[in-house]
Amino acid sequence: MIRLLKIEISKFAGNKTFWILSGLYVVLISLFFFGVQAFLDDLAAQANKQSPIPLPGISAYSLPDIWHNLTYIAGYFKIFPALIVIILITNEYAYKTIRQNIICGFSRWDFLKSKFLSLALFSLAATLLVFVIGLILGLIHTDHVSFHDVFGRMEFLAAYFLEVFAFLMFAFLIGMLAKRSGLAIGLLLLYFYIIEPLARFRLPAYIADYFPKKAIGSLIDIPNTTIMRLFGVEFQDYISLTDTALVAGYVIVFGALSYWIILKRDL
Amino acid sequence: MDQSILSIRNLSKKYGRIRAVDELSMEIPKGSVYGILGPNGSGKTTTLGLVLSVINPSAGSFSWFGGIPSKADRTRIGAILEVPVFYPYLSGEKNLRIIASIKGCSCEKIPELLDMVKLTERKNSRFRTYSLGMKQRLAIAAAMLGNTEVLILDEPTNGLDPQGIAEIRELILRIAAEGMTIILASHLLDEVQKTCSHVAVLNKGKNIFTGKVDEMVNASSEVEIMAYDEEGLDRGLKENPHVVSYAREGNRWVVKLSEGYDSSELNQYFLSRKVILSQITIKKKNLEKYFLEILEKK
Repeated sequence: MIRLLKIEISKFAGNKTFWILSGLYVVLISLFFFGVQAFLDDLAAQANKQSPIPLPGISAYSLPDIWHNLTYIAGYFKIFPALIVIILITNEYAYKTIRQNIICGFSRWDFLKSKFLSLALFSLAATLLVFVIGLILGLIHTDHVSFHDVFGRMEFLAAYFLEVFAFLMFAFLIGMLAKRSGLAIGLLLLYFYIIEPLARFRLPAYIADYFPKKAIGSLIDIPNTTIMRLFGVEFQDYISLTDTALVAGYVIVFGALSYWIILKRDL
Repeated sequence: MDQSILSIRNLSKKYGRIRAVDELSMEIPKGSVYGILGPNGSGKTTTLGLVLSVINPSAGSFSWFGGIPSKADRTRIGAILEVPVFYPYLSGEKNLRIIASIKGCSCEKIPELLDMVKLTERKNSRFRTYSLGMKQRLAIAAAMLGNTEVLILDEPTNGLDPQGIAEIRELILRIAAEGMTIILASHLLDEVQKTCSHVAVLNKGKNIFTGKVDEMVNASSEVEIMAYDEEGLDRGLKENPHVVSYAREGNRWVVKLSEGYDSSELNQYFLSRKVILSQITIKKKNLEKYFLEILEKK
């Protein structure tokens, strides 16, 4: 397993596109994390001007709520690692290196396993990034930090890992299907922003909630704020077991479909 | 009977109604340089893809080293299908390292192999920047990584300049001399004739001829000659016991020589008779004719 992962790492470590996209991801997500409080403060100030009663401010960075807040925000950035995944798998088709890997002695399953391991690695890296930034911001902005404050809501990080991993497995499957990067990226965006929303629009919630994008996105719900509570809106502030099981189920389905494709296809 | 490295039994691959490989059977003996000859689209690459497990067969079977096909077989085979395939953004050496870890062998042999294919100086340049000849040579180095027992080359000289072709052929012969089995797919008769010991001729996915190259090439060869002294020429040909047959074609004579008697000896013979040949050309050996005949018959 370590050998497969090492092979994968040496494949993408020399790839310029990989580093550019990763760098962009880290910079954007950090900027957003560090800037979100200023944005919220501004929002609160604006709202207070028009409000007859003083509205309470929102602190995005206080531990342990920061884990929920940051993982929720980070969810919007998972398109970057997904693009990386699509480019890495479609490159293997474009360069025909997938075929050469098999010729050199990989089984088809070895090839797939090495890719799945790299997806897990990317998801882990994305989770670690949130953890590190969260820790810095949280420690700065929280008074009297206890052990429980820091590590009390780690389930959000675990859920974030699963969310990213499931999304990357989906992107990988699309890359496998399309073989060409442009087509794959087009399909991914088309599915996410048009096909699924349209399909869900007409369907009752008990069906619509089980669509992949919806299921993966619902794992971490919108963080509650005092304002929302004032308006009587209550979001899910925990990770539900049903949601987790559903997303894990999707991971298995995407993995199985990718396996079926590579097994049946002439490379 | 030679030991078989690869046996192919009734292997078929259909793409819709097209039969790219049609009930193909073949035995490749250990230590041979085996040419798979056929025009473009005759199923050479598909056949190699099938035995390398990158294409799923429609029917039939094959076996490497007498066993059941497995991924372990492929670590004993070095193969290049169609074009050299590497990660273009990585250096030649890094590409070889990746292949070594896929094969599960050590990287120790890499410097020696880079030396063999004369790429040591360029080992840190990206694969993308290599010339076609360099790419082809890197592919041969990659194929030799690990405990390679069989080397599969698919049109290895395609698109190369004459110097590149000469380099690759020399390399193949050097590797063959070390006792490695080589399977060489080519549409060039000349190439097969110059490098191979055995040959199978494919057409439309069928194996239409199998045999040893030297049996196939008729030992007697043909030359075309011209001389101003036509009478002396005619008489000389008639009286030379090494001339099997001759015929006049336009202003030149096509002469078939017996085994072991070549054009220089013929030239010498005429000189001694004071007949000066104004032209002497060795006609392409008979493999080409043979090949065309076989193709026409089917």
